[in-house]
Amino acid sequence: MLTRDFVGGVASIAIGAVYLIFSYQLRTSALDDSMGPGGLPRVYGWLLVGLGAILTTQGIVSRRLAVAGGEKGTGEKGEWDGQGRKLLFAAGLLAIGVGYIFVVETLGYLLSVAVLLLVTALYLGAGNKARVLAVATLGAVFLWVMFVIVLGVRMPSGLLASLGL
Amino acid sequence: METLTHTAAFLLDWHVILAALIGVTWGIMGGALPGISPSITMALLLPFTYTLDPTSAIVLLASTYIGAEYGGSVPAILIRTPGTNAAAATVIDGYEMNRQGKAGLALGISLYSGVIGSLFGLAMLMTLSGPLAQVALAFTPMAYFALGVLGLSVIATLSGENLVKGLIAAILGLIIATIGSDPVTGGTRFTFGSPELLGGIEPVMIMVGLFAMSELLVQAGKRGQDERVTSRPRIQFPDWPLAKRLIPAQLIGNGIGTVEGVMPGAGGTIASFMSYNEARRWSRYPEEFGKGSPEGIAAPETANNTVAETALVPLLSFGIPGSNSTAILLGGFLIHGIVPGPMLFQKSGEVVYGLYAGLFTAAIGQLFIGMAMLPVCIWLVNRPRPYLNAFIFALILSGIYSIHSEAFDLGIMIAAGVLGFFMRMLRFPFLPTVLGLVLGYLVESNLRRSLVLSGDDWMIFVDDRISLGLLILSFLFIGGSIAKRAYGVLRHRSSSTFAENAES
Amino acid sequence: MNKLQLVSAVAAAVLAGGMTAAQAQEYPVDTVTLVTHSSPGGGSDVFLRELSRYLSPYLGANVIVENVSGGSGAKAMAQLAQAPADGSTFYATTPTFIYTSLLSDPEYKYTDLEPLVNFFIDPEVIYTSAKGEFRTLEDVIQYARDGRGQWGAANPASLERQALEQLKAAAGVNAAVVTHEGGGDMMINVLNGTLQIGVGEVQEIQSQIEAGELRLLATFSENRLDSFPDLPTVKETGYDVVVRKFRGLAGPKGLPADVIAAWEAATQKVLADPEYRQAYEGANLRAEFIPHADYVKFIDAFGAETADFLKKTGVIE
Repeated sequence: MLTRDFVGGVASIAIGAVYLIFSYQLRTSALDDSMGPGGLPRVYGWLLVGLGAILTTQGIVSRRLAVAGGEKGTGEKGEWDGQGRKLLFAAGLLAIGVGYIFVVETLGYLLSVAVLLLVTALYLGAGNKARVLAVATLGAVFLWVMFVIVLGVRMPSGLLASLGL
Repeated sequence: METLTHTAAFLLDWHVILAALIGVTWGIMGGALPGISPSITMALLLPFTYTLDPTSAIVLLASTYIGAEYGGSVPAILIRTPGTNAAAATVIDGYEMNRQGKAGLALGISLYSGVIGSLFGLAMLMTLSGPLAQVALAFTPMAYFALGVLGLSVIATLSGENLVKGLIAAILGLIIATIGSDPVTGGTRFTFGSPELLGGIEPVMIMVGLFAMSELLVQAGKRGQDERVTSRPRIQFPDWPLAKRLIPAQLIGNGIGTVEGVMPGAGGTIASFMSYNEARRWSRYPEEFGKGSPEGIAAPETANNTVAETALVPLLSFGIPGSNSTAILLGGFLIHGIVPGPMLFQKSGEVVYGLYAGLFTAAIGQLFIGMAMLPVCIWLVNRPRPYLNAFIFALILSGIYSIHSEAFDLGIMIAAGVLGFFMRMLRFPFLPTVLGLVLGYLVESNLRRSLVLSGDDWMIFVDDRISLGLLILSFLFIGGSIAKRAYGVLRHRSSSTFAENAES
Repeated sequence: MNKLQLVSAVAAAVLAGGMTAAQAQEYPVDTVTLVTHSSPGGGSDVFLRELSRYLSPYLGANVIVENVSGGSGAKAMAQLAQAPADGSTFYATTPTFIYTSLLSDPEYKYTDLEPLVNFFIDPEVIYTSAKGEFRTLEDVIQYARDGRGQWGAANPASLERQALEQLKAAAGVNAAVVTHEGGGDMMINVLNGTLQIGVGEVQEIQSQIEAGELRLLATFSENRLDSFPDLPTVKETGYDVVVRKFRGLAGPKGLPADVIAAWEAATQKVLADPEYRQAYEGANLRAEFIPHADYVKFIDAFGAETADFLKKTGVIE
């Protein structure tokens, strides 16, 4: 039953519904035009719900047709094969990224980006430990020089602030 | 003719040459870093311009703009990350060519198309800025709304196999564009009390998330299976038959770029998407688009470099900056006490001629600087996957952070990456989302502005001739592509147009 | 909008080198940072950088400019409110910081800062296309009375918008006030006749006025402008609306008295500097020094008036 179209359709309906709830709560004021801040958002919300419904129906119908056509089960199985594993690995990378967001302002840019490079390369399967360390160190210094020294971007200095970096 | 002789005098001025070359090199670097937009690249140079003479200062900033508009295509082709908003259309076929081991050719095409765009745009700027300024002046809010609708009509062809999915993706983009301050009342919408969202979400955060971050997430699921084709670290320019094939696409880019550049607020992103779409419509090999078509790189890259030149028309003629980048350039003029506008030529004609000469030098310089820099970039992306992907991850996290110096923005980018990951898993196309995101504000603000003007009379869109024309054109486009779809369905040809959606 | 932050240390070094700021050492800190919410190259940014060049010797400290442009000033206000009140950091105030405080209710508001001194009041003028039929403000009001007027304001919920809404109320006409994304956008719509009038600062439209493409109709200032002595004020025309777009500085709460005194002295001196005077008058800025004690009251009154307007129109609660 759970084809991609079906899942996508249901997700669209859900997103549209949440968005609609918020767009109906927008304040109105005397400076508003007749359409107001909520005018188009409501249109977008309803369109999303409507299109989501069409997609869901498409998903159900095409599934029925496929089942009627005799390819029992195969479609569904092939559709989601290996997705769980992919999802798990992606979640790992995601966790590394979220971790970076939390440490960057305390650890400082140079250190966090070095750790990020190290952890990500290892996570993605880099084998040679010495090489990973070298790439992480050099890569972090390169990015730091590029963004902080050359471009003058204000990156968090964190722990290294005391060293004058 | 007079313009030419005055301009030629500056072509040998070493101040101008130096400023142009430094500017274009700096611009390519900044543009190539995801998150560092052309305007940021220019702003970083602004403090230096105080000490320069006015002509060198303006040339430096304008050349940076040109370099940055080109530079955005480098990561678009090599790591599926648009370095600038306008390079989003280049990602489609550019990255595809890279995957086929033709990175050198893809970069060569984007480089020389960029140079052609710059030179054509410069010629337009020098010869036709009077008439072009009139075009800018003729655009009312109604016309801008219609222009936005025309841009959105491209969704119909960018949607891939399922139109409903394309439309849903587009609405997601439009919804993201409503976050921030309301264009009419200035009140806040969907910001949930966080000050970081007051100014809206920068499109580049979403684009980097959708394209690059989602790619990293997908790659994470395929460790050890490094079946990619690597490219030789050499820039390759097309041979004559291919160059000939690219001419129509480049002409389309030139034409659309000229018109879009002139209109304040329209900008390079719309120009590149529309050029991409038109190039596909008129191509003799439309089926190659999305699968590594060289025309799919040539058209948008010519367009966004043409825009970088013609965007100077409203700035020089009216003193009106049409984009963030030209706003910085305006700042550069003002710092030196020069006020762009109708009196510019009488009061500071020399600066303008110097600027033309500098732009010409920058366009030519771009070719050689690009040729020197690009092999290194190709070599870099040929490194083993785990290292390359770790580096890309660090690069986009650094680039996005530098937009506002906010860790919050990294969260937005990563969230967009997750959205992109699921969109890929469920086979939704990205491009309509990007288009909705870029056009949402333009469409909404001008729709509402027009209705305020007319007292809620929708006929105002019909009464305005430009608006009427553009709206009719959009309906023809939409009707045409729906008819084509219906025909395709009848012939049982499930045309999966965009390999980009496929997960492989 | 690009909202990059960068400390223009290089510019500061260059400027400081030229100015030999070390000549007068009575100011408590060596380096003063002026924070602006304007992005590099924007109006306030250019103004501040110009000011910082002339201010250093008079103040006896290096003056550098920092762009902190997130959230239309919300971020800059937060940074300032938490900064030490030692005279080392100030925020360049324009009406924007009051509008942002009121409209988006950030954690730190204009009331968490202490106004220091005022430098300039920018004149806001009403202009129309020179090709159009309107010769006086009264013509425009009459047109709006007869049918449907279309007036332009540069930004949503801005001082210009407030001025036009007040003018509408004072004249008792029903005109559509169309908001834009900046003055340039609006100017095009005035030039092509979509709008009858626009409101903006003289410096933005200077070039068009010189070229004879735009015609000034009235100024929202209290008195007539020196550069346009024939231009009537809106008040003279019979509508009691006065707009004061201020440009000054504010610091963290509890500024020491010697810092305030140093700034009051330096501000008056720099405004009288002949070279600087030529520069700012050329850009149509009108010097209006307001000392600390009065400026605090001025900002309070401005804030109260704006809050009142926004509440009356229902934009905020």
